[in-house]
Amino acid sequence: MSKLKGKVAIVGIGEVPTGRFPETAAIYHGMASAKMAIRDAGIDKDEIDYVMPTGALYSPAFNTELVTCRIAEELGLKNVKKNCQIFAGGSSSTCALEIAAALIYSGAASMILFVHADKLGTGVTAQGAIDLFSTAGISAEWEVPYGQHYSAVTALSTMRYMYETGCTDEHMAAVCVSNRKWAELNPNAFFRKPLTIEEVVKSKMLSTPLRAKQSNMLFDGGAAFIVTSAERARDLVEKPVYLLGEGGVVTHFVYSQEPDVSRFGWAKAGRMAFEEAGLTAADMDLAEIYDSYPIFQIIGFEELGFCKRGEAGEIFLRGETWPGGRIPCTTNGGMLSQGHTGAGGSVALLVETARQLMGKAGDRQVPNARFAVETAVGGTYMDAQVSILGTEIP
Amino acid sequence: MDAPKKPVPVVNPWAKPFWDAAKEERFIIQKCTDCGKYIFYPRIACPHCFSDNVEWVPASGRATVYTYTVVESNAPSAFIADMPYVVAVVRLEEGGVQMLTNIVGCKPEDVRCDMPVEVVFEQLNDDFKLPKFRPAAK
Ligand SMILES: [Zn+2]
Repeated sequence: MSKLKGKVAIVGIGEVPTGRFPETAAIYHGMASAKMAIRDAGIDKDEIDYVMPTGALYSPAFNTELVTCRIAEELGLKNVKKNCQIFAGGSSSTCALEIAAALIYSGAASMILFVHADKLGTGVTAQGAIDLFSTAGISAEWEVPYGQHYSAVTALSTMRYMYETGCTDEHMAAVCVSNRKWAELNPNAFFRKPLTIEEVVKSKMLSTPLRAKQSNMLFDGGAAFIVTSAERARDLVEKPVYLLGEGGVVTHFVYSQEPDVSRFGWAKAGRMAFEEAGLTAADMDLAEIYDSYPIFQIIGFEELGFCKRGEAGEIFLRGETWPGGRIPCTTNGGMLSQGHTGAGGSVALLVETARQLMGKAGDRQVPNARFAVETAVGGTYMDAQVSILGTEIP
Repeated sequence: MDAPKKPVPVVNPWAKPFWDAAKEERFIIQKCTDCGKYIFYPRIACPHCFSDNVEWVPASGRATVYTYTVVESNAPSAFIADMPYVVAVVRLEEGGVQMLTNIVGCKPEDVRCDMPVEVVFEQLNDDFKLPKFRPAAK
């Protein structure tokens, strides 16, 4: 059990809309998001003493700019003592939050800016992105030669899950529809037109049983958040978002080495996080679950204890996860509707979790949201990362 | 424009015996002489008990399909001409061993979870044969 419960808080968030911006450099999205987060926290920019960018997948040059402190220089941050990249793919946000929290708790840092930007929407062609994701994080010896890629990886988990539980195409489609309901209310989301079950189940088959409209789309974007100590947070903002619990399980590198591809380590990671927080799924006002594909939202939802295995599909279908529903889930529309910006997809979700708890979610605000569980996952679902966040310390 | 060449396995030195054997259509895996567990993919030490005493043993080549998918569109460039093709994780008869492969020798739509399969070697180029699996003979 870590000692971080209630010791640190997110105090500022920033995010640019997700979309296609061919004329705009990725660094701009990062700077714009960082500037917003600093203003949101109400701090002087020179209070930032630690910058944690996360890595970009598409551009080595942009990555070196992040590593070598361009964000801090461009924004004129005068008191930065460390610029240190945290890169765990799609779980970078949640991993960085814990590391940031530990640094603040230890006294090594006092005000940490975490920032992400990428240009997966216009930085690469569609086929270029497929080719990138047929090698990035996939074993060059054991899986690349067999034509493995991320749609296939996801389809493999979806197939086994459906085989074991009897979950249907309609259930999977219901996750996409649920997320779209939220995206309709999110000005930063790319896909905002209503979506029907029928549209999803009739969309092009990619890798059986995974269809085109069950797949995230790659876009340009950026997001940022600021973490500080609980004491400082209380001076700064009305509703600091405290880190109450965290858990994580790293399962594999080569996808075939995972012995249970329809569960992964979520149950254990969730248990660790809930135990530290002293809360359960029943206490949560929000479930912000990483959703690059619907199967992962279903697995997360079940393994974290919101329902029994095999039941999530029905819950999504019944609208219980929609705006106004019993357990709002992935309230920014997720990567399926807000859009996927590489490691940024999870940053957007963490920022959304904080936004809801701060009461700044506008038309999609969940009333009186106090506690939320947020998840992130990297690579070929190599890890399961869970944070419990809240506006009170139970 | 010609399709890009198929990616070949980037061989780790300690896995070379596996690929050398595959070229001769022999299917071998590692076994730990200390804890007795089978190991795949090949490691420099036993991932179960961390022993250095790992040896190569023949595997039966019999397996079951744990999970599979038929890639019907959006394949990597080098595999576009192969669509539809089956990517699968199989579980070898040697307990605890899973590997990614392609299922060949049947219609893609006939593959099912838990169906029995057996190894077959497919020529990739002059240097490599890839172990793939086909439905097991009755
Ligand atoms: Zn051993």
